[in-house]
Amino acid sequence: MKNIKTHGTSIEWSNVLEMVHESRIDSVGLNERVNSLATRSIKKDSKLEALNMIVSMCDLTTLEGEDTEGKISQMVAKAIKPNPLDNSVPSVAAVCVYPSLVHIAKEKVQHSNVKVAAVSSYFPSGQVPMESKLLDTKYAIDSGADEIDIVINRKAFLEGDYRKVYDEIVALKEVCQDVHLKTILEVGDLKTYENIRKASLISLAAGSDFIKTSTGKLSVGSSRHACYVMLKSVLDFESKIGIKAGIKVAGGIRDAKDAIRYLVMINEEMGSDWLSPELFRFGASSLLDDVLKQIKKLKTGAYQAGYYFPRG
Amino acid sequence: MIDIKKTYKNYVDGKYVRSESGKTYTKELKNEFYELPLTSKKDIRDAVTSSKNGYKKWSSATPYLRMQILYRLSEMIEGNKESYVELLMDHGLTKQKATKDIDESIQNIVWFAGLADKWEQLAGNLNPVSEEYFNISHQNPIGVVFSLSSSNVSLNELLMSILPSLTVGCSVISYSEENSVLALKFAEDINNSDFPSGSLNILSGKFENILNDVSKHVEINLVALHKELDKEGLKTIEQNASESVKRVFSQPSIEGLSSILPYLETKTVWHPKGT
Repeated sequence: MKNIKTHGTSIEWSNVLEMVHESRIDSVGLNERVNSLATRSIKKDSKLEALNMIVSMCDLTTLEGEDTEGKISQMVAKAIKPNPLDNSVPSVAAVCVYPSLVHIAKEKVQHSNVKVAAVSSYFPSGQVPMESKLLDTKYAIDSGADEIDIVINRKAFLEGDYRKVYDEIVALKEVCQDVHLKTILEVGDLKTYENIRKASLISLAAGSDFIKTSTGKLSVGSSRHACYVMLKSVLDFESKIGIKAGIKVAGGIRDAKDAIRYLVMINEEMGSDWLSPELFRFGASSLLDDVLKQIKKLKTGAYQAGYYFPRG
Repeated sequence: MIDIKKTYKNYVDGKYVRSESGKTYTKELKNEFYELPLTSKKDIRDAVTSSKNGYKKWSSATPYLRMQILYRLSEMIEGNKESYVELLMDHGLTKQKATKDIDESIQNIVWFAGLADKWEQLAGNLNPVSEEYFNISHQNPIGVVFSLSSSNVSLNELLMSILPSLTVGCSVISYSEENSVLALKFAEDINNSDFPSGSLNILSGKFENILNDVSKHVEINLVALHKELDKEGLKTIEQNASESVKRVFSQPSIEGLSSILPYLETKTVWHPKGT
């Protein structure tokens, strides 16, 4: 059994196994806690701050077969200046694209602080041999990606071969080196809270800088409940190993109200350290549009229409 | 026999809902007190979201289908005629006047149902141009319409504040203050007539509470006021509406074909004649 270096810390597989085995979850209590956190009311100034924060945490995403150079330029322009008529709205954290489009996105984000994230390891299914996943990831990094979003091997995970899941992430992290690694659990495929917790811990132990809920390609996307399980795993991991990892929620978060509920949960459970794009992100395509609408609504008092904001 | 009283609710997105605020206001009719939903600005927001979706469904329906649904509405009211007459009498109308009002209502619905597939021929036209082109003024529904109904207790007047815009394919948010019991009863027949959800939302409350939010809401395309407002109120509405280039009509015509004209937007098309 070899010791793997992640974040400068060695985590032996036996330790990972030990953590994974302590994965029982009180689902009734969890549901209750998550639901109670959704009832907070955030008003006026705090709301405006939350909305701006959400924008700065967004990974503006397009992952379609129809993506073209033109579509990427349009999206990057929106990422840098989400609302061209309001300079107080910050840039988003990153744009997220397929590996073949990274070089285009990279060129367009020059002179801004927007990062380029690439999905790799044969997103969204990940159903290819390991060599191909490594190649896919290497290609994205060579093209200039600042962040890599990979998917875990759900086939291996659901068959109970946790070691394989772990080894694959470790191997991909080796390719990434200093490039930020986000590991997608695809919570919709994992079905149970216990599975989400196990997958979270395995991914963290294997060296992921972030764990991410979903690909956005399933009908079941992120849920606050799944996010709660993940944030608890991140906290437990921090208390055992001393490393702070981030969380990215993606898929199905369409409105500002829902996004604010995530922020409330993160703040209450993890503390304000995590309220930063360094440690918390939203994967978004339609979310940003609603947030921009709400920001303008707060400033003008008038409910807004989508067609007054840039597309992208 | 136990006398069971009805709780009137707003009709939004094909569902009967209480005001999000939980607030009500009271109306007394014949020594009975009706608790009616006091629409809040968030209810307006929800209604507009619904109307926006309703507009897609309703405006893309074929004129033939719109005609059938409108005709169905007249059938429903015909079937419930007695209860309408009774309610109008509770409001203080004589039986004769109440019956006349309902009869006129039914006739008007049938007239507009008939107009559903004819208005475009009547309102649109071929423009005379000197070149070898067809120049066509094609008429489109304007979008989401907010209609403040008249303060007179009359189903016919309520309908005349809704039917013209609905017939051409607009989705309508109808808001009633004085005659809200009647409007919310009418919502039940709307529900039974196969209108797509969101094409017609019916709300009750005090207009002054929501005047600002309605006139500022960017996604409402037109405000029709079928009730005389004080000068100041109208000015506020017009000023707010100008921010989003919203059209405002105070007491628009309800006579014949001219009634539908405010709700249309003209698109002009040039097409070569190809001699």
